[in-house]
Amino acid sequence: MGENSTEQKLRQILSEYLKQDLTDVPGNEDLIDYLGLDSLSGLNLLALVEKKFQVRFDDEILWSLRSIEKLCDGISLAQKQMSDL
Amino acid sequence: MKIALIAMSGVRVKTQTLAELGVTLPQFVNRGKVVASLPSLGLLTVAALTPPDVEVEYFEVDDLPPENRALIKYDLVGISSFTARINDAYRLADRYRAIGVPVVLGGLHVTLMPQEAQAHADAVVVNGAEGAWPKLVEDFKKGQMKPFYVGARKGVFEPGLYAKPRFELLKGRPYNRITVQTSRGCPLNCEFCAASIRITDSFQQKPVNLVIDEIETALKITQHPFFELSDDNTFVNKKWSKEFLTAVTPLNISWFTETDISIADDEELLNLLAKSGCKQVLIGFESPISHALDGMNPNNWKTCRQPGYVDAINKIQSRGITVNGCFILGLDSDTPETFHVIKEFIETSKLLECQVTVMTPFPGTPLYNRMRAEGSLLKDEYWDRCTLFDVNFTPKHMSVAQLEEGMMCLFKELYNEKQFLMRKRHYMEIAKEILS
Ligand code: B12
Repeated sequence: MGENSTEQKLRQILSEYLKQDLTDVPGNEDLIDYLGLDSLSGLNLLALVEKKFQVRFDDEILWSLRSIEKLCDGISLAQKQMSDL
Repeated sequence: MKIALIAMSGVRVKTQTLAELGVTLPQFVNRGKVVASLPSLGLLTVAALTPPDVEVEYFEVDDLPPENRALIKYDLVGISSFTARINDAYRLADRYRAIGVPVVLGGLHVTLMPQEAQAHADAVVVNGAEGAWPKLVEDFKKGQMKPFYVGARKGVFEPGLYAKPRFELLKGRPYNRITVQTSRGCPLNCEFCAASIRITDSFQQKPVNLVIDEIETALKITQHPFFELSDDNTFVNKKWSKEFLTAVTPLNISWFTETDISIADDEELLNLLAKSGCKQVLIGFESPISHALDGMNPNNWKTCRQPGYVDAINKIQSRGITVNGCFILGLDSDTPETFHVIKEFIETSKLLECQVTVMTPFPGTPLYNRMRAEGSLLKDEYWDRCTLFDVNFTPKHMSVAQLEEGMMCLFKELYNEKQFLMRKRHYMEIAKEILS
């Protein structure tokens, strides 16, 4: 799956879950601040992404996955780690 | 006529090393910082009980000029009190009285130590302000304020006594957390409890419609506030609880409260709780060791419940509601081995948050009276150490130093990045289960 389709799928999943259109949110926007999420809601989002993309982020990087770009990077890294196994 | 109501806000730790350690413990400090900014619901209630022709201003103590600068004069000043900062409250009262402003002291601490308070006040109000403050203000207007007023210990949420807290006084202030009270007292009656049980005769429950009205009012003055119910034990009455949860769900708020583990017995209640926006419940487990709980409640409620702790935690957390498990260090049967047992329990039970504090004999509690009789208090009126983190008694089976050191080590083991990440990960795994 290419970078762009990951990003598209991610935007779609988040928009559906949050019932808010995220297609035009800049890739580097901090989603937690943008959406005004508390820490648990932030974790709910990460859980959703892990589940939908069937990946598991390293615990150490969880705190940094706050924008669409960072999430896409995290997804590709986790996918790569899985295929390296 | 103008009255200033002053909250002694903020959090306190006396022991320097603890204060310094606190600064380096992520989870611990974060929570400390957010809660430290809570407004005084007690004073918003006092404001509401003030006759409408009297002007009221609300202040946090930090809003006031420091000791080397002059205070603004009011016709009357009311100050609220918790034990840890009572000496600061007395100093402030003395400053006002020195410039001729009469002072009324009220709140938890002065209710339990009224004579002590009288040395610093023109009037002392004990118990809830309900039933006392309106009369006091009328007497004051006539120049007939008495030195002592007794507020109500029951019926405080009934017509005639109840007044809706004046949340609008917070307008323009940067609070993102608001407290709302749904009950006073708690039937568990723990020996150490220094909360609203000390100002009530029995459990008092606010009708659901009044609670909802208060939340709706608070929503009008702050944007997306997080609500903290300032109860001792919210879900004592399961019928009331279900009515409340059903009514609060459409308000779409995020909130937190304190309760006991009996909520885990009731599937219907847990399901309603999960839908209601409740993010966390704080539960006093006190100790994972059954015999350590002996004698804590008159009917040994917690001892009987201890075997069900892990199961209850799982049931609640599996709904996506985090449990903030509270444990007390320095219980009578605790030894230097206990710290480790608590750590193990917190880890294996997969509690998503924990709060470990030291046993604290607050004035007016059965615990204080017992320890005083046993001669185990380090000093009789150690009020500034009543912070839940500073030791002010000699434990039965270890030294004060052992308790302090054990607590420090445990803090380091519980509140570090690794544990923090483990809890985050556990929460995400639960969230994934719920998503399916
Ligand atoms: C919210 C809260 C806070 C907020 C308080 C915000 C504020 N400025 O009020 C914050 C986060 C700042 C806080 C801090 C601390 N807290 Co606190 N907190 C609570 C909590 C959860 C709810 C309190 C509440 O809102 N009650 C509801 C109101 C309506 O009740 P009330 O304040 O008693 O007011 C009524 C009467 O007392 C009276 N009244 C009160 N003030 C006045 C003033 C006048 C003039 C009059 C006439 C009447 C009057 O009328 C009111 C209406 O009836 C309680 C636990 C609980 N579940 O109750 C702990 C509790 C009050 N906290 C406690 C402690 C130990 C602390 C800290 C020491 C913690 C720390 N290490 O820093 C500090 C206190 C330092 C300080 N500032 O003095 C203890 C206090 C025990 C005691 N006897 O002192 C409690 C009971 C928790 C416990 N584990 O035992 N806390």
